[in-house]
Amino acid sequence: MNPRRDARFLTRSVPRFRAGVLALGVHAAFALLLVFGVSWQVQQPAPVMVDVWDALPSIPPPRAAPPQPAPEPEPDVAPPEPPAPPPKPAAEAPAPPKAPDLALEKRKAEEEKKRAEAERQEALKARQAAEEKARADAARAEEARKAREKQAAEQQKRDLLRQFEEEGLQRAEQEAGLAAQAAAASRRQAAVAGVVAQHIAMISAKVRGNTRLPPDLTGNPEVRCLVKLLPTGEVRSVQVTKSSGNPAYDDAVVRAIEKSSPLPLPDDRDARASFVPELSFVHRPK
Amino acid sequence: MNPELSQDLSLLHLILNASVPVQIVMALLVGASLLSWWFIFIKMFALKRAQRATDAFEHEFWGGADLNLMFKRVSAERDEAGEMERIFEAGFREFMKLKQQAGMSASFIMDGTRRAMRATYQRELDGLESHLSFLATVGSVSPYVGLFGTVWGIMIAFLGLSSVAQATLAQVAPGIAEALIATAMGLFAAIPAVISYNRYTHDIDRLANRMESFMEEFSNILQRQTKAA
Repeated sequence: MNPRRDARFLTRSVPRFRAGVLALGVHAAFALLLVFGVSWQVQQPAPVMVDVWDALPSIPPPRAAPPQPAPEPEPDVAPPEPPAPPPKPAAEAPAPPKAPDLALEKRKAEEEKKRAEAERQEALKARQAAEEKARADAARAEEARKAREKQAAEQQKRDLLRQFEEEGLQRAEQEAGLAAQAAAASRRQAAVAGVVAQHIAMISAKVRGNTRLPPDLTGNPEVRCLVKLLPTGEVRSVQVTKSSGNPAYDDAVVRAIEKSSPLPLPDDRDARASFVPELSFVHRPK
Repeated sequence: MNPELSQDLSLLHLILNASVPVQIVMALLVGASLLSWWFIFIKMFALKRAQRATDAFEHEFWGGADLNLMFKRVSAERDEAGEMERIFEAGFREFMKLKQQAGMSASFIMDGTRRAMRATYQRELDGLESHLSFLATVGSVSPYVGLFGTVWGIMIAFLGLSSVAQATLAQVAPGIAEALIATAMGLFAAIPAVISYNRYTHDIDRLANRMESFMEEFSNILQRQTKAA
């Protein structure tokens, strides 16, 4: 060792590497603190859309129709009953014309009268008996007829019912076939229309939420814009097609639309067709 | 999408979207901050080591150890010796050399010894104080550099605003936010630098006082030896 070696050439080991690692560590920690500690993301709470649906736009079920005609045959069956009473008066009517002929000769007349009386009484009895019998017969016949009629009516009713049912079924089947298509189409249309309406409401709400109304705005002016959209819903361009007359407000609406990018688009392709690639947008402040 | 209207205020996004002067300022400040923290840690270790070594040496020296043995040990490991040990070594070496030469008066020997010790003391103190001026500079200048970046960024933001018919806060907000990051970086670099600068100068002052006291006391001891010799 050189004793003359000057102190100025002396070195001393310095933990440079350790210090460097620590310095980097401090910065990394600070960066992490900044990134995770402070919420740099301005997250506007997404507007919550609630659609209140009473029920789905229902198409009347085709099966419901046929049962309705069924009650109708009953009125048709009821009328046959009233014709039953008339036969009674018809049976009594022949009696009166006999009486005037017996009053012309006295003696004969009396005997005859007696006889006739007896005859008549007999006849009356017989007639009564006959009548009774006839009535009973008639009643029986009536009953039988009624029963028949009833049976017939019921048969008819049943036939009618069956017919109706068959018709109904056939119609229902036909209807079902046609209606299935129509219903599917209309249901789909309704669904698409519903989705479209829902998304129009959502887009309006989003744009409205982003609109900063100029302070000098009066009334409720309408702005129409042509918004060109990418399929993802991102706004490509906005063009005012009908100004509200207030350029500041027009500007605010255009900015709001741009700021609302991406617009909420429906997942359904048909529904999306109403929005992409161009959307005519009507905006009112209130 | 119009970048001016985007509300994405992520830190990285803001920094990357800043104008070039602001980005330069930010890079400068990050560099200054990294370097100042590096020096802060280097100084921290160096001062800790110096204090420990000084404590140990004073303990040994005033514990009545043999000066010749101590000198041999210290000169054998000069590179790793503490500040006070080096002062002791330089003074003792000079003292022995002068003492061996004939016809040297006591005051001459003592003057030479003192000069040797003072020179080593200055050099050691210089070593201890190295880089402290950098910390002082970062501490005093980086807020201004950051402020410059902020002013520039806000200027750009307002210039951009002038071309728009209707001014809204949303148009200047990102620009101002990105500009303010420069100030934040300046402060982040400056605050630790100032704190550590103050603390280290204080620590070094105390060490310097101890070394000067030791030099005086050691001179007394050597002077007694010249008388004795």
